[in-house]
Amino acid sequence: MARDFRELLKRDYVILDGAMGTMLQAAGMKMGETPEMLNITHPELLVSIHEQYLNAGSDVIYANTFGGNAYKLEECGHSVDELVTAGIKNAITARDNVKPEALVALDVGPIGQLLEPTGTLSFEEAYEMYAEVVKAGSNAGADLVVFETMTDLLDVKAAVLAAKENSDLPIMCTMTFEMNKRTFTGCMVPSMALTLEGLGVDAIGVNCSLGPKELEPVIEEVTKWTNLPVVVKPNAGLPDPQTNEYNVGPKDFAEFMKDLRKYGIRVFGGCCGTNPEFIKELSDMLKENGNAIVNELPQKVIPAAVCSATKVVPIDQPRIIGERINPTGKKIFQEALRKGDIDYILNQALEQVQAGADILDVNVGLPGIDEREMMITAVKSLQSVVDVPLQLDSTIPEVLEAALRVYNGKPIVNSVNGEEESLKNVLPLVKKYGASVVGLTLDKNGIPKKAEDRFAIAKKILDAALVIGIPKENVYIDCLTLTASAEQDGVVETLKALHRVKTELGLKTVLGVSNISFGLPNRVLVNHIFLTMALENGLDLPIINPNIEEMTGAVRAYKLLAGFDKNSVDFIKHYAGKQIVPKIVISENKSAGTDTKSGTDGARGIQQSASDNDTGLEGDKLALYNAVLNGLKNEGADCTAKLLENTDSMEVVNEVLIPALDKIGEEFEKGTLFLPQLIMSASVAQAAFEVIRKFMIKSDAAPVSKGKIVIATVKGDVHDIGKNIVKVLLENYGYDVIDLGKDVPYQAVVDAVKENDVKLVGLSALMTTTLVSMKETIELLHKNNLDCKVMVGGAVLTPEYAKEIHADFYAKDAKESVDIAKRVLG
Amino acid sequence: MHADIVLGQLDKNEALRYMGHRGEDIDEQLDKLITKCEKEVLRCVKPRFVYKVCDISREEKGILVKDTNLFLTGNSIKKHLDGCDKAVLMAVTISADADRLIRIAQIRDMAEAVAIDSLCSVAVEQACDRAELIIKEENPGYYQTFRFGLGYGDLPISLQGQFLHVLNAPKQIGLNVSSTDMLTPTKSVTAVIGLSKNPIPQRARGCQTCSMNKKCQFRQKGGRCNG
Repeated sequence: MARDFRELLKRDYVILDGAMGTMLQAAGMKMGETPEMLNITHPELLVSIHEQYLNAGSDVIYANTFGGNAYKLEECGHSVDELVTAGIKNAITARDNVKPEALVALDVGPIGQLLEPTGTLSFEEAYEMYAEVVKAGSNAGADLVVFETMTDLLDVKAAVLAAKENSDLPIMCTMTFEMNKRTFTGCMVPSMALTLEGLGVDAIGVNCSLGPKELEPVIEEVTKWTNLPVVVKPNAGLPDPQTNEYNVGPKDFAEFMKDLRKYGIRVFGGCCGTNPEFIKELSDMLKENGNAIVNELPQKVIPAAVCSATKVVPIDQPRIIGERINPTGKKIFQEALRKGDIDYILNQALEQVQAGADILDVNVGLPGIDEREMMITAVKSLQSVVDVPLQLDSTIPEVLEAALRVYNGKPIVNSVNGEEESLKNVLPLVKKYGASVVGLTLDKNGIPKKAEDRFAIAKKILDAALVIGIPKENVYIDCLTLTASAEQDGVVETLKALHRVKTELGLKTVLGVSNISFGLPNRVLVNHIFLTMALENGLDLPIINPNIEEMTGAVRAYKLLAGFDKNSVDFIKHYAGKQIVPKIVISENKSAGTDTKSGTDGARGIQQSASDNDTGLEGDKLALYNAVLNGLKNEGADCTAKLLENTDSMEVVNEVLIPALDKIGEEFEKGTLFLPQLIMSASVAQAAFEVIRKFMIKSDAAPVSKGKIVIATVKGDVHDIGKNIVKVLLENYGYDVIDLGKDVPYQAVVDAVKENDVKLVGLSALMTTTLVSMKETIELLHKNNLDCKVMVGGAVLTPEYAKEIHADFYAKDAKESVDIAKRVLG
Repeated sequence: MHADIVLGQLDKNEALRYMGHRGEDIDEQLDKLITKCEKEVLRCVKPRFVYKVCDISREEKGILVKDTNLFLTGNSIKKHLDGCDKAVLMAVTISADADRLIRIAQIRDMAEAVAIDSLCSVAVEQACDRAELIIKEENPGYYQTFRFGLGYGDLPISLQGQFLHVLNAPKQIGLNVSSTDMLTPTKSVTAVIGLSKNPIPQRARGCQTCSMNKKCQFRQKGGRCNG
């Protein structure tokens, strides 16, 4: 008998089953047991439960495989394959006994560990675990795979890719939302819909957490954002905290579900607290009332939009794409990439978002670095701190694919162009991962001079996209800005092409703006006027430096004047009561330089006055010294910049910064200052060092370095604040810190020491349970006969234990790690 | 469903103490920093909790939580639940938003990060205090012990996974455990409270039963962690 879930979905309604856990507990299973074990120990119980649901009216039954992954089954003594196969077989037996046309679903829940960055499970590990389950279920004869009770969109993405790449099974996904229409990890309903529809699943929806009544707003939102069949599998209301009994009975449940049909639901079922009685009532209700409305509702127009899991950006008005994460022509950025300094990139991201960027372009291409690896790291790290969607920017398809895999949400790919090769390589990736794409109006002959030729290329790109199934809403065209000083006539051609693409093809448009003024004085003026002209011609996505107030301001003002910013709310929020000081910023040292926003005024009162000081310093040197002592970040950076005009940088470091830090360290040891104050002072020094570093890179001098130190929070530990404090202090003293981050594998530490010929390693662990990782890391370093010392620190460490695990030094606090570094490296 | 836990304000002095402060006057700049960070923490964190009142039996292996396979092992929990009829298993988290907030602060400003980290620790403790009160209200007629955290004394932290499983905490409040028994989101607490129909002699959280006894920074400086 052909059992095709996709065919089934063409019916007016499909009935799923009810809870499995509730039934198993009723049969005597204890909380905390592994339910999948029952597939082997009590197959008759499972068959009977499935049969009850089939008799009640289920068209699809979920096998008892929810937690059947390698992590959850680790200690049960049976393999994933064994338990999943047994689970599917039980369901098949019931199906064959009772309702041969019914479908058996491989039911898959979350792994049971949080993904990075909150947890330690990587996307890749999650993928492997899901793949194992899918292969087992598919081989055992499941008709479809269901991912349910998911709360992390990236986790779902790993699961869906694993299913698509390891089976041909149809896929249904349901996530679990709270009253605030978000999952526990903050995932929004439209993010789920945009991302999963893009990935090509067959049905999406919600299950668990709440009853049908409470889920109504969530369901309404889901149906707004998708044309896929929508699944609703609520709990039997809410549980009583005392008795754990759910408060909605079978009849009321069916009544609520009846009411929800108006939103256009196609797949109905029950989650926690429901049983065959609920499914029977549900089935009777649907038989009696039908669900024709699902086919009568008009096809929805889903807004063009991109998203992360926690933020959706509809392209229904001009949205700013920040261009700063790109090393082209930026020495400091290039240096950061070579050093693997992710914090630099993250800072660039935070700064742009604060300035008003809606989306961030991410380009990490630089000769001599592994762009693919760097792109993966950049995307993961960026998404751990900013929620704006990203535009993945590379010329290499392998880099784009790697980024598309790990991206959480629906991104933009930058870019494809009119060349056959490009269309062939890039568009299938865009389709597979459900992204939007920027199409550049150029081909093998370069950029056409005339608007009509660029328009023709845009049309070609659109057609190629449509052919492989990329919807029109996901194609954004870049008509390319030429330099006005070289090709003045080209300006109008760009705008003309843009206008035609927007009005005749109905596509969203994107444009890098800054090129227009190349070679001209007062570039900001030219840029923002051109930006305004482009906006008026239909530009949706200007790619600009959002840190330049005139540019971001032009977009805000345009949105107000063009009526997008209703009642000028956004404009007023930004400018009311604020004094606008125009700043002309083009070169990277100013825009990315001194931190202008986190300034904190007020003094600690340990000022050294010019007349009464024991430092022997005066003028700007004394001012810098005092700034460090008092934690005044802006002042510190300003003084340093002034000093560098006529003072050697090493002199600033050795005569001012180091003595000031030593003084602070002394006070800290005495107990007159405590940790936050130590760190505030360190931050001032850090800002000063940043100014010095930039100054030196600009003047092509070698940066100051007193030696390299590798630091890491050991494998299994995610508490990294202590390690990061140590990093700041070590950097203050001029050491080059190679920060491997948290949850670092033993081998990664060894590799970093070898590659960089490092003489000192710092390891941190916060938990008793991860001390063992510290020991293993040290053992591996020793096994490799590396000529390096190891210092260790962390809340649960003692000097005795440090000795026991053969660490060379125990650092009781961050200050002491600096003393150790001085001893080892000088 | 329980009443939601809402945190009105955070104990800033407690946060300062976590940061190593011993009661000296704080300067204006630090005061501003803490005040600013408190606002941010309160804006971001979402306390959630789950608990279960369980019957217990004293077995050779440890204290068995009835209707589960969970044994609470070690001498300290045995003592803690001495004379109790029931045990409350509780888990509290202030959500992954706290971790994210700390992450962002670490990139922007380390001093801010330290302050936010400490304030989040205060927030989860305050959330636990509120949870205890709710438990008291919802279980009238019982005397409660203080909350005994997993990993405290010789109650092994390796029970974390099973403990959360019994509470269905991953599904109920989004609280999970890593393969190294760390709670994720990190600003979370799991604990056991004893319930008794009869008054329980007040057993204070003592340094003697604490697993951090020899390593404790507070003790090294002559203080203690519980005020």
